[in-house]
Amino acid sequence: MCKWHKPMRRLPRLFFLLATIVLTLLALTGGPSRAQSALQIPPDWNKALDSLADKIAAAAKPAKTFSLNVKNISSLSGTDVAGLREELVADLAARKFRITEKAPSDAQLQLTLSESADDYVWVAEIRRGDTREAVMVSAARDMVKNSTSAGPSITLQRKAIWEQAGKILDFGLVSEAATDRGSILVILEPDKLSFYEYRSGEWQLTRAVAIGRARPVERDVSGRINLPAGKAELPDVECSGNFQHPETVTCAGAAATQDAAFITNPIVMQERTVDSYAALAPVCGIGPLTLVSGPGDWTQPDEIQVYELKGHEAVVSGPPLKFPGPILALWASEDGKSARVVSRNLQMGAYEASIVSVSCGD
Amino acid sequence: MKLRLFLFLAAISLVLAGAAPLRPARRPRYGGTLRVEIGAIVKSLDPSVAAANPEEADAKDELDELLYDRRSEDGTFAGAAGSGAFRLSAWEAGKSAVFAANEDYRAGRPFVDSIEVQMGRSTHERLLDLELNKADFAQIPAELARQATDRGVRVSASQPNELLALVFLKGRTATENARAREAIARCIDRAAIVNFILQKEGEPAGGLLPQWSSGTAFLFPTETDARGAKEIWSQISPSPKLVLGYDSADTLEQSVAERIVVNAKEAGISLVSRAMPNAGPPSAHAGSEAVRGDTIHVDARLIRLRMPSPMPRVALAAFIDVLRPLGGIEASPLPENASSEDIYNDERSIVSGGRVVPLVWMPQVYGLSARVRDWKQPAAGESWPLADVWLDSMTETH
Repeated sequence: MCKWHKPMRRLPRLFFLLATIVLTLLALTGGPSRAQSALQIPPDWNKALDSLADKIAAAAKPAKTFSLNVKNISSLSGTDVAGLREELVADLAARKFRITEKAPSDAQLQLTLSESADDYVWVAEIRRGDTREAVMVSAARDMVKNSTSAGPSITLQRKAIWEQAGKILDFGLVSEAATDRGSILVILEPDKLSFYEYRSGEWQLTRAVAIGRARPVERDVSGRINLPAGKAELPDVECSGNFQHPETVTCAGAAATQDAAFITNPIVMQERTVDSYAALAPVCGIGPLTLVSGPGDWTQPDEIQVYELKGHEAVVSGPPLKFPGPILALWASEDGKSARVVSRNLQMGAYEASIVSVSCGD
Repeated sequence: MKLRLFLFLAAISLVLAGAAPLRPARRPRYGGTLRVEIGAIVKSLDPSVAAANPEEADAKDELDELLYDRRSEDGTFAGAAGSGAFRLSAWEAGKSAVFAANEDYRAGRPFVDSIEVQMGRSTHERLLDLELNKADFAQIPAELARQATDRGVRVSASQPNELLALVFLKGRTATENARAREAIARCIDRAAIVNFILQKEGEPAGGLLPQWSSGTAFLFPTETDARGAKEIWSQISPSPKLVLGYDSADTLEQSVAERIVVNAKEAGISLVSRAMPNAGPPSAHAGSEAVRGDTIHVDARLIRLRMPSPMPRVALAAFIDVLRPLGGIEASPLPENASSEDIYNDERSIVSGGRVVPLVWMPQVYGLSARVRDWKQPAAGESWPLADVWLDSMTETH
């Protein structure tokens, strides 16, 4: 019997020791996890949540304990929702409110992540008995965000660079290293070539070169920027100069041509004609790769699918990267590691310029 | 050089990868005639000539949009006829029109060579011609969208942007009682209107703005409460007898009015429906006697409110402009920087006043032939983007 008693007496101590270790580990891993998710939320969203927490605090008095339910009826991803929930709980905790999973709570807090025609709308409903009060904040839709498709081998990442109401034909980025000032963003439109410089955390227009024509532009006009060559080409116009120094760039009429560099020859892929594609260099030994836009027309959401070339066969690699509207231009970068994508957001009507890159791993 | 060679080889490999028949490419093509059918009879395209009815006004607006480049701030067309994407090449008042592509249009020549418009085509004729591929484009009532799809017509529906609502007219003794208004509002079965009358082509409306626009429509309840309605009505003594008016030319309004009468009867409410001749949408005739229900006595009426903009503040302001003379609704215009919360509070204040009862949201529905490409639903307040449409030559017409 005694042989049994000794271990039994030690067990609570061992359990206590083990629990301490586990809790310490959880505490250590919990910190970085919170910081990591908070990092995923843009600063503007943090401000909006802070404001929402203030409004909840004012509306909820004298309640101090909430049960929280979060509902997402917007286009926010699950990751964003988790990050927002975590941040709101932290904001409320900072105001001495406590979220509890167990009843009884002083009030029920229903957070609905919604969106309007131009913003996200985050609504908090505070329910106490039969009374219900709603407070809300608006938050700008996150423009520069990586949209990552999970996959075992190939991952596509999209970095949104610019959006505007007017049509974009192509764009180019001159890195800071190549200029004697900040980075330069070049936007080619049907009637102008615009240069933006990155100053004080935002792109500022520094120069716009008008593109004059004798005849109206074609409705389906296309164009391309070739930064190393110092050129921006349209069917009837060529702009040239040193793009690192926008003041040197001029545009002049050119003979219309049907085989210009910006017109891609259609190829046949998986039983359909594709006229929007970009060939990229291998990544982590996988490849050669080709990015191909979806089969829809210009009224439908689109996607980019990666194909790996194996011999004479093009094999789908990884899940597609979704776009909220048609992809209008798709060009491989000079180093073959990424692609410039011009698309149209059908929900907002805006034209968007993004860079899509390929990486390997999960 | 190595990289370029590799990329070239990659492209060649891709070409070799496919050997099956081609599907149409998505690069637009120029040419062809777009055949459009409309129900309205348009007598004149001159913007200064008033339309005889709201249907003609809407159709005329769409056709003038093809001819004029822009509008003035007051919404009237500016510039000369033919400065737009198309020029008028043939015109038979009230019957047909042909618009030819403007080669010099500043935003680029339209893809189609011309648009032929047939006027005065009934809903039945439009559906039949779409089905038989004799028309490329025609608007069809939302409640017939499902039927059109079942008949093989290619259908394109917008986001719900037209509100059907019930308005209690101001100055009517019977509806000055807020409890009577509340009882009627509670008894209405919106889900049944959507499911049976609109054939699920719409959604119940609790607020004055749709969810996609305001983001807060979910805060407005849309459930029916027949028991609550009955209880409230039983407390009103003497209980009034109410008349609900609808536009006599609008079959949808008639069906909805009759459905509401049934709902009211189930709650013990005395309500009858009555057709109002020449009532039309109030946006065009808000001040007319027919719309106000003066020529034929009604206590409440159904109205359609189409959003002039996707922006919630702008749409709400336009709705208030229409509702003010009808229901005596008071609301101050919101500033341009009004927040979602400001807009919601205004909307809630109007709805809780009980003078207007939102019923259902409906989309704009269009039938398209198979060869029409790049048709993009116009956003609320936008015109038909026919200059962007192109015709697929690989799809045959009859």
